[in-house]
Amino acid sequence: MPDKDPGAPSNQDVEMKDADKPEQPQPEEVKKDADVLTMEDIRQHLKHIEKAVSTKEPRFMSRALRVLVNLRKRLNSNVLRKLLLVYYPTGSGGAATKNPLLDFLEEPMEVDKSAGGVRPRTGKAAALTQIPEIDIYLHLLVLIYLLDQKKLTDALSCSKQLMDKITPSNRRTLDMLAAKCYFYYSRAYEITDQLDQVRGFLHSRLRTCTLKSDYEGQASLLNLLLRNYLHYNLYDQADKLVSKSTFPESASNNEWARYLYYLGRIKAILLDYSEAHRHLLQAMRKAPQHTAVGFKQTAQKFAITVELLLGDIPDKSVFRQPMMRKTLQPYFQLTQAVRTGNLKNFGEVLENYGGKFQSEGTYTLIVRLRHNVIKTGVRMISLSYSRIFLADVSQKLLLDSPEDAEYIVAKAIRDGVIEASIDHEKGFVQSKENTDIYATREPMTAFHQRINFCLDIHNQSVKAMRFPQKSYNRDLESAEKRREREQQELESAKEIAEEDFDDFP
Amino acid sequence: MAAMATAANIGAVNNIYAKLSTEWDKKPPNLDECGRLLNALKVKLTQCPMNFLATNSENDKRNVILARGVLEIGAQWAIETKDADAFERYMAQLKPYYLDYSFDDLEESTYKHQLLGLNLLRLLAQNKLADFHTELELLSTEDIQKNVYIRHPVQIEQYLMEGSYNKVFTARGNIPARSYGFFMEILLKTIRDEIARCIEKAYEKISFHEARRMLFFNQDAVESYKEYVKQRKWVCNAQDDMIHFQREEKVEEVVPAKDLVEQAISYARELEMIV
Repeated sequence: MPDKDPGAPSNQDVEMKDADKPEQPQPEEVKKDADVLTMEDIRQHLKHIEKAVSTKEPRFMSRALRVLVNLRKRLNSNVLRKLLLVYYPTGSGGAATKNPLLDFLEEPMEVDKSAGGVRPRTGKAAALTQIPEIDIYLHLLVLIYLLDQKKLTDALSCSKQLMDKITPSNRRTLDMLAAKCYFYYSRAYEITDQLDQVRGFLHSRLRTCTLKSDYEGQASLLNLLLRNYLHYNLYDQADKLVSKSTFPESASNNEWARYLYYLGRIKAILLDYSEAHRHLLQAMRKAPQHTAVGFKQTAQKFAITVELLLGDIPDKSVFRQPMMRKTLQPYFQLTQAVRTGNLKNFGEVLENYGGKFQSEGTYTLIVRLRHNVIKTGVRMISLSYSRIFLADVSQKLLLDSPEDAEYIVAKAIRDGVIEASIDHEKGFVQSKENTDIYATREPMTAFHQRINFCLDIHNQSVKAMRFPQKSYNRDLESAEKRREREQQELESAKEIAEEDFDDFP
Repeated sequence: MAAMATAANIGAVNNIYAKLSTEWDKKPPNLDECGRLLNALKVKLTQCPMNFLATNSENDKRNVILARGVLEIGAQWAIETKDADAFERYMAQLKPYYLDYSFDDLEESTYKHQLLGLNLLRLLAQNKLADFHTELELLSTEDIQKNVYIRHPVQIEQYLMEGSYNKVFTARGNIPARSYGFFMEILLKTIRDEIARCIEKAYEKISFHEARRMLFFNQDAVESYKEYVKQRKWVCNAQDDMIHFQREEKVEEVVPAKDLVEQAISYARELEMIV
């Protein structure tokens, strides 16, 4: 079965279905307690991680990590406490590591009897924790649990300890786990509003990862740094980071989606709207199809705003999608105001939804749309009137004076928005007659653009195709068995044919 | 030993700073003298950088305020001497003091918003719109909407985007501080070129005097106006006193053979690659 990319939780809490059932059959214990179920699952994952370390194949690790989001909901203090008790040897050697993590958990409410099903397996379990990956994985689970419980100061110190464990190690099998850990470390600081302290650390880890060609780590660290800069509105520095670094080609799709989204936002602020639009669309395409709703909504909001800034009106179908309809409502009204070129509506929308736009970070971009509204208004007037007085123009567009209208129309003509000429003496604007557009090269360029786009998508999808792993062939029958089977089929077919002849008189 | 040297340095810096502020406060200030003092201070500040940058002790906070004061006077002096590059350099040095050093009890400088607004205006005058917007992002929305020093460049940018140049011209009268005038002059020159280009494309003919009015040349500036007309190579018809503009004739469209061929070949190549 082809392996999907490692499941990374996106910016908001999302559901990720567990697409892969574990291969081995479940042990026969009674499954009434949800905690026991969770324990079993976690043990499966630990086995996967161990296999990943021994075989040095990353897909086991990715399988374990992918389920992390689903697992997150089922974690609670009991489960974690039992895990830690089981997997850390009770001898004096393990006591040092056991205590700090246990401190983060609450005292158990009562002694559960069902704990009998999970006996501390000292021999094998002790050997397991010698692998640092298990240690880090359990530590990561504790950190996620603390974050979800909103125990922020604990989470901060827990994450610091985690970083201290990861930084000195140089194991390649730890790379994917480490990437996840960086994310949660940064997240802990983000929630407590201390992101600027993390920057130096993230930069130094990025250097190390790039030197070691740790692609996952590099990708997730770059994304974390960009997120950091964008949080503080430091677009200049974010832009410099992007121009000086290369995003690794082999990173997972989720990391690519995040990177393209941040890139799109930076370019939008720097007035490079066409690039920004392209990046944001690609980000939405690379996002997982059925989940990560929050991410897609945010990306869609920015994409709509940038499209309006480019002068195009987004399709109505964009607003109709079921999961987007409610959140995109203010943007829908904004689009209508821009489309009709109505400055009054535009001002109203800004007032009503200003706070919302600000909290989503699109406010500064939307304020720039005022110019677009006027442009559309001028264009509509020029299309509908062959000749109109400047005073009327200023009245329709709600401008301050005919002089304003004169300057604005002159600028519009120079920018190529409309084809017209102004007669200053008599004070009117006269539109030129339309030329037949099919006689120019316009259709050819438009077609060329679309063709290139389609071919681009085709090439990208070919590159993104994955072929089944070698293990697939093991399940198929080998050549001998197939020959046997075919022979048998031939014989039985002959028999049936003979029977038929016998039956018929 | 090192401590004594830095203490001596700080003493020297304090002295020069005192001289500079008295010199600057005189009206009108002696610009050359100020320039000389500023250069001396700049050198001194770099000699003992540890004391003038961010640390937390009480003594150093005074030094930080001192350094900031020096740079502010430097920026304003650059405006007075009409040196835009020097202003840019001083602002680059000043920005960390305003934006990054988050001292909780460092009181805000009185000149902070004025200088930040001046910086925005400079970017506009030099037509660096992308930088303008990135700078704007660093300020809070409250500042942008309420603070008069910052609101001025923001409004000017809006007028420029819309094209209502006459509003820009009238805004020249409403500058919030005298120092804004310098960049407004530069800005007006830029938009004059813009307006001229708009006029060329939008009008078939326009009267000589009307054009003068539109380009914001005063009644008494007819000579400079005539210079400008000659510079833009407009032809003035003496009989009816009108300027006529050339209309570009549509050239007969030739079939762009080379482009078509290239495109067709690239399509064929891509399609062949489809298995």
